[in-house]
This record gives sequence, C-alpha cells and structure tokens, in this order.
Amino acid sequence: MKTERLTPFTTRVRDRTWLSEKAFQVALDRPSGFRFLPGQSIRISNGSAERDYSLACAPDSEALTLCVRRVPHGILSTFLAQAPLGAPLTFTGPHGYFLFQKSPHPPVFVATGAGVAPFFSMAAAGVRGFTLLHGARAASELYYEKRLRAASALYVPCLSEESAPGCFNGRVSDWAREHLSPRAYDFYLCGSREMIRDVTRLADERFPGSLVHTEIFH
Amino acid sequence: MKTNVGSGDRGITSLLSGERVPKSHARVDACGEVDELSSVLGACAAALSEAHAGLQQEIQGVQSDLLHIGAWLATSPGSPTRQMLRAISPGRLREIEDALDRLEAGLPPLQSFLLPGGHSTAAWAHIARTVCRRAERRVQSLAAEAGETGIESAEGILPYLNRLSTYLFALARYCNKVQGVPDITWKG
Repeated sequence: MKTERLTPFTTRVRDRTWLSEKAFQVALDRPSGFRFLPGQSIRISNGSAERDYSLACAPDSEALTLCVRRVPHGILSTFLAQAPLGAPLTFTGPHGYFLFQKSPHPPVFVATGAGVAPFFSMAAAGVRGFTLLHGARAASELYYEKRLRAASALYVPCLSEESAPGCFNGRVSDWAREHLSPRAYDFYLCGSREMIRDVTRLADERFPGSLVHTEIFH
Repeated sequence: MKTNVGSGDRGITSLLSGERVPKSHARVDACGEVDELSSVLGACAAALSEAHAGLQQEIQGVQSDLLHIGAWLATSPGSPTRQMLRAISPGRLREIEDALDRLEAGLPPLQSFLLPGGHSTAAWAHIARTVCRRAERRVQSLAAEAGETGIESAEGILPYLNRLSTYLFALARYCNKVQGVPDITWKG
C-alpha cells in the first residue's frame, strides 16, 4: 500500500497590502497546475511552521491572494507580514469543503475579521444574492467591504466595539437574532469560535431545518 | 486547522453537508465507528518499534483512507459536497489485497482458530479487526436505513472495510511473528 502524500507547490511572495493595523493581504505567485474552488484553503509552510489560509481571490486570478490577520508572536503571520517580496514558500492544497452550494434556502454568509476571505472568493467567482453579516470590532476591520456590499443582496456590517454610521452596533449573532425572519437558511460561517458557536446555536433554536457550514479562523 | 468548539454542547452536530442532526444519528454513529477504528490502528502503529517503520506507514495509509471514508459517511446522499469527496478506488482495494498477500506470504498456514492476543501489537490489530467489522455493520445498516443500499458499496466503502478486516487478521498474525510471539491457538 502507498501512503498518501500531498505534493507541495512552490511559490513566492509577490505583493503585500495592509488592510488595517492588524491585517494585510498577501499575494503569492500562482504555480502552474494549481486549481481551487471558492471557499477552499491552502496550507502554507515557510519551512518551520505551517498554517491554513482561505484563498481570497477568484478561481481564475493570476495571483493567489490571502487575507491574513497578524497574530502576536504568530510564526507564519509574522513571516508573511515581514517576508521580502520574492521570498519562497511552499503550500499544499486546495483543502476543505467550505463551498457555496445552490439551495432553495436563502444563503446567509457570516464572517468575523479575516474570516471574510472565502466569501470574497465566492463573490469574485460570481456568487450573488446572499446576505452577508460582516462582524468586526471596528469599521477599519471590515475588509473588502465595498466589493462585498456590491455583490450581496444585503450587507450588514456589525461592529462590536464601536459605533459607526450605517453599521449595526453589536455582534453578528445579535443582528441575526433580532432581524432574520424565522425560516430555514443555508448558513455559511467563517470566523471566530465564539461567533460560530453562537450562530450555530441560534440556527438550532430559531431556524430549524437550516444547513450550517463552518470554517474557523482566528 | 482550528477545531470547532461548543456547537455540539446540546447533543446536536453538523454533518459535512451542513445538516444539524442529533449525535445519535446513524450517520454520526457510523463515522464514530470509523474514527474508533483509526484510533485503534494508531495504537497498533505506536506499539510497533522503529524497525517496522514500513508497516507503520502502511497503517497510516489506512488511517488516511478512513478519513476519506468518514467524510463520505458524514455527507448526506444528494448533497453537492459528495461530488468533492474521494471514494475508495478499485486500485486502492487492490493495494489492500496486495498488502494482505505480502503479510500472508510470510505466515505459516492457519491450522486452527486463534485466540486474539499474543504480543501487544497483535492484540491491537485484533481489536482493530473487530472494530472494523462493527464499522462495516454500521455502514451496512446506514445504507439500508437511508434506502441507499449499494451506494456506499458502489463507492467502495463496504468492500474496503471487508478487505481491511481480513488484512487486520493477517496483520495480527504478522505482528506476533515478527515479535517472536506465537499465535494463541484454540484448544477446543
């Protein structure tokens, strides 16, 4: 019997753009032969550590884009934040089943922080008609807001630590509890453990028959 | 990869296809059996010395297969997610059979029933064999309950578990042999 082996792709850091004080977008060269579906992730290694990141780009984009939250003392996020352009990396993938699926139920995307990355990828691939509950501590952390607002049927920015015009003041789960009509939805949750736990419980209690797809980020 | 925490505190969990179901659901139950099998195989591999690194790798290959099987079992029939999943291929079944042949080639003919045991690695392999049979029964039951008899079979899961059980019996005997411990024969 052969042991399964995932052959790594090699790439280089192509570009980096800071989205806020805490997060940045990094573009990697796209290796030939690499294909993915919106919502999937790659497992990046710099030789000493490896981490999973959702791709935040269209499946046919020239570069592979990631939305990275800089974690204090985080090995790979610090590396990606500081690596000179051209620095080599390897990755495996694509990984994961966090994929948009057409359904009779209305889709509700719920993201916190950099967890919005897979939804950006889905929107870039042409997914429309979704409600997006976009949670962040502050308005400056609503990454990709303009593009996502334009692609969604309803875009709801939810700020937990500050008030801003046009934003719901509270958590995404608070908005869902107060404003989502009782019926079955297809929930797609990507973000913190706390958000995923709260919205999943809400789905169990208030929206029976819903599908709940989850992806955890920090 | 981060682990989901807390969404199942109330006895409900999500299938890979998104449905929220009780943890006693037949599909969850079948996944649990496959997970238990993988864990027992891990114990077997861990009990092997480094001199048997090839065998450890072979066992890890089976554990990898079991993850794919678990993903398949955790997905409802008709879900688009299933299109993303890799089934057990006929080629993989042949690899299991080839591995079985390799193990058996070095074993003496079986003269009587065996009592599970001997070296600890063999004991683990015997436990794995029985858990594998239980997993097979659960998958069969699930397929029947879901009215999709033949689907798991067609995807190679039932044939795989059937072959794997036989492989694990041979593995137990092989472990005893390489450890210099005789199989325990049934005296009647």
